[in-house]
Amino acid sequence: MLKYVLRRLLYIVVVFLIASVLLFTLYKSVPGDPARMMLEGSKTSMKPEEYEARYQDAVKKLGLDKPIVVQYFTWLLNTLKGDFGYSLTYKMPVRQMIGVPMKNTIMLNVWSLIPVFAITIPLGIATAVRRNTKFDSTVQVVTIIGYSLPFFVIALLFIFLFAVKLPIFPISGVQTPALRGTPMRMFFDKMYHMALPLLVMVFTSLGGLTRYVRATMIEALSMDYIRTARAKGLNEKVVIYSHAFRNALIPFITIMTGWFISIFSGSVVIERTFLWNGMGKVIIDALNQQDFAVSLAMVMFYLVLSLIGNLLMDLSYGFADPRVKLD
Amino acid sequence: MAKRTYGSHFFDVLKSLFFGRRTATLSIFEEEQVQSPYRTMLRNFRQNWSAMLGLYVFFAIFLAVFILPLFFPLDLQFQDPTQKNTKPTLSYMKYAKEISGNVVSIDQGSVYGLGVGSDGVIRQWGTLTPKLQNLPQINAKVIQVSAGLDHALALDENGKVYTWGNDRFMLSNIPPQVQSSRVKQVLAGHQISLALTEDGRIFFWGNTNLINIPIPEERQGSFSKISANTTLAVALTTQGEAVTLSSRETPFSYIPQEIQGSIVDVAITERSAAAVTDDGVIHVWGGDDYGVQQVPSLAQGNAIAVSAGRGHFTALLSDGSVVSWGRNNYKQSKAPKLNNIVGITSSYFQNYAIDADGKIHSWGLKGYLMGTDQYGRDLLTRLLSGGRVTLTIGAIAVIISAFIGIILGAFSGYYGGKPDMLIMRIAEVVNAIPFLPLAMILSAIIGSRISETGRISMIMVILGLLSWPPLARLVRGQMLAAREQEFVTAAKAMGITELKIIFKHILPNVITVILVNLTLSFALCMLYESSLSYLGFGVNEPNATWGNMLYGCNDSTVMANYAWRWIFPAIALSLATVSINMVGDGMRDAIDPKTNDR
Repeated sequence: MLKYVLRRLLYIVVVFLIASVLLFTLYKSVPGDPARMMLEGSKTSMKPEEYEARYQDAVKKLGLDKPIVVQYFTWLLNTLKGDFGYSLTYKMPVRQMIGVPMKNTIMLNVWSLIPVFAITIPLGIATAVRRNTKFDSTVQVVTIIGYSLPFFVIALLFIFLFAVKLPIFPISGVQTPALRGTPMRMFFDKMYHMALPLLVMVFTSLGGLTRYVRATMIEALSMDYIRTARAKGLNEKVVIYSHAFRNALIPFITIMTGWFISIFSGSVVIERTFLWNGMGKVIIDALNQQDFAVSLAMVMFYLVLSLIGNLLMDLSYGFADPRVKLD
Repeated sequence: MAKRTYGSHFFDVLKSLFFGRRTATLSIFEEEQVQSPYRTMLRNFRQNWSAMLGLYVFFAIFLAVFILPLFFPLDLQFQDPTQKNTKPTLSYMKYAKEISGNVVSIDQGSVYGLGVGSDGVIRQWGTLTPKLQNLPQINAKVIQVSAGLDHALALDENGKVYTWGNDRFMLSNIPPQVQSSRVKQVLAGHQISLALTEDGRIFFWGNTNLINIPIPEERQGSFSKISANTTLAVALTTQGEAVTLSSRETPFSYIPQEIQGSIVDVAITERSAAAVTDDGVIHVWGGDDYGVQQVPSLAQGNAIAVSAGRGHFTALLSDGSVVSWGRNNYKQSKAPKLNNIVGITSSYFQNYAIDADGKIHSWGLKGYLMGTDQYGRDLLTRLLSGGRVTLTIGAIAVIISAFIGIILGAFSGYYGGKPDMLIMRIAEVVNAIPFLPLAMILSAIIGSRISETGRISMIMVILGLLSWPPLARLVRGQMLAAREQEFVTAAKAMGITELKIIFKHILPNVITVILVNLTLSFALCMLYESSLSYLGFGVNEPNATWGNMLYGCNDSTVMANYAWRWIFPAIALSLATVSINMVGDGMRDAIDPKTNDR
């Protein structure tokens, strides 16, 4: 077990290094001089000599005068230490800049988890149990439509219905600008702004997840132990919820890991559509502003997150299912 | 060897899917025994109504976006600010019934029409703004109307001028000199109004910052007609001379000297001017866009009047017929065969011809079936061409990912060991990075240095390069299972090369599973492409895709006022992805023996 974990950790390190070399090469191939971009605003207010001196300072500070291999290792070390570089647009360290968006994204995602699971699990079980009935095929078609529709189409539709035609919710934003008040009021204001993106996130997740629950449940219901349970005359409810569902939960771990990652990463499309100041929007803004240090840091962050997520998934499989052997 | 049974081959299945199956009466034993797996799949698929519906819908979309653009070609450079954000309608030339047969004056504005019959009451049609609908109180009979971009002018029998519609830029303030004199001609232009009085003087009012029309004082009093476009005006004097009213030197200033003094009618488009001389010859000067200088030869020598839209001319000939030439993007220069015509009016993309009985004949732009976008481009043509781009990108991305995925997956599954390990690790890394952010970064870094066509190919390659891991894993799994089977051992024993075993013996056995996966990932690639374009990191303007037509549509103004701009692309994209997924889902159910409850 310990050997397995160590081997996986080693593997994560190797993958991380390979990916970091690739991403760093990509980052370095970006046209444009970061040192000049750093001084962009103050260009006109300085004398040429002063500007040149400042420029040289900036080059030194960013380490651009050193050979590219040294630059890579400096960058890698800094990243590992948690120093993700300097955002040129926000004029502050990436780590500091990312705090608020991260909080917003986590909040949105965590809140969306509850309704998603509360709806999809019962619905998935119900369709699996009533397989090949009219109810099942209706839900199947509805869920195909649900997961085939692009996120932004659903988002636009919801904005149109619930913010334009029936002006219940605000169209976009995280909170009312310049709102001051009690923490309670601030919280409610935030929830009010979050309602529509939340609704869209829940709606878009329903289709895929319901189908997944249904598939795992059908798989579980076709097992021999279910036949045994039924043969010995167990109540159908007990068969479904106690025998089948608990076993159907095992593949569910995969989905949970996906959620674990997306809690931090945020949906680019939804955050862009609702102008929700989260991680996804930070990436878009960074790319639009040519602020590649930020986007690079974000991708590295996602990579580590998903590698760790994969490891956790495999480990939890081992814990949840005694049949799975980790080696 | 036994005769090949119909339906035993994969392509037979495809054929019979679309063209119906050969009906042969089989006895119950034959039916049970002779049915090939493909045939079973086909039957399962055809019994699944949602899959069949998806197939038909997708096929219809496919035909529409690949055939219809031939009839509605997309002009990438086309933009027209006068036509921006107009709602779906085909009513631009649906003139009011009341004026037909007794029309006195008729004119076309940017997206609406205006006419007056012998009863002197103004009628309007097309897309009218609320301000345009608010007609002024006129007690006398109206004898002339003129429609501009978003405001209109009317002249009554007493020579009094009325204006309504847009009232910004002082458009509603008719100058006192105009109010006090008898007016002969009114002209509503682009945010500007012009009036020509009986004594030959021209007055103008409106947005004079945008358009300045300097009128030489020594010429005032000699004018007999004016024609205007969005930047300047050309006037005709009683001596038969044309005068360009512009503060700058423009191509319009180069009036051919030999015709000065003999001009009877003049009209201008955006870039060129045409004049009819008293010998019936039409002279065109200025730019030569859309072939406006190639005056049809049957008009030369016979013309008596000329009128102009934004890029085309229409001339009335002495035998009462009409001829149009110039720009033809909305069929505005495709004049019908008419006779007995006494008057013509052209404006924007429309023409009206009035015959001796007062009947109206019209040709040109009827309207937009799906409205226009913020640059005045027709959404229907963009939707069709955009669909072609979206489907092509999706298809090529899937082909790239299938190529990589099948080859890597097959080798990895067949050989196992070190290559397998390496390939699967690469697949894991590619799969580990969130798709959209990585694709966005690649597109932002590479895309800034290549042309727009290169960008489209780049999107295909990025999508293909990032979406192969699931397929590779699937093929690998299938390979792992198949390589232990007897037929592979037999093939090996016969000394068949490994490549042949992989691609000729094993792969055909798993092709159905791969096809299902490819169908579903086709929909996924389309979704990714449109998401990227929606976010501004995919295909950019002026090229159209269903995704980038939605770019910027989360704006509250667009949402509330220009709903057609996002509804149609959204519907098209959703229909396409839903139908592809339905087909893929139906295929999966059809080939899965577990769901086959026989």
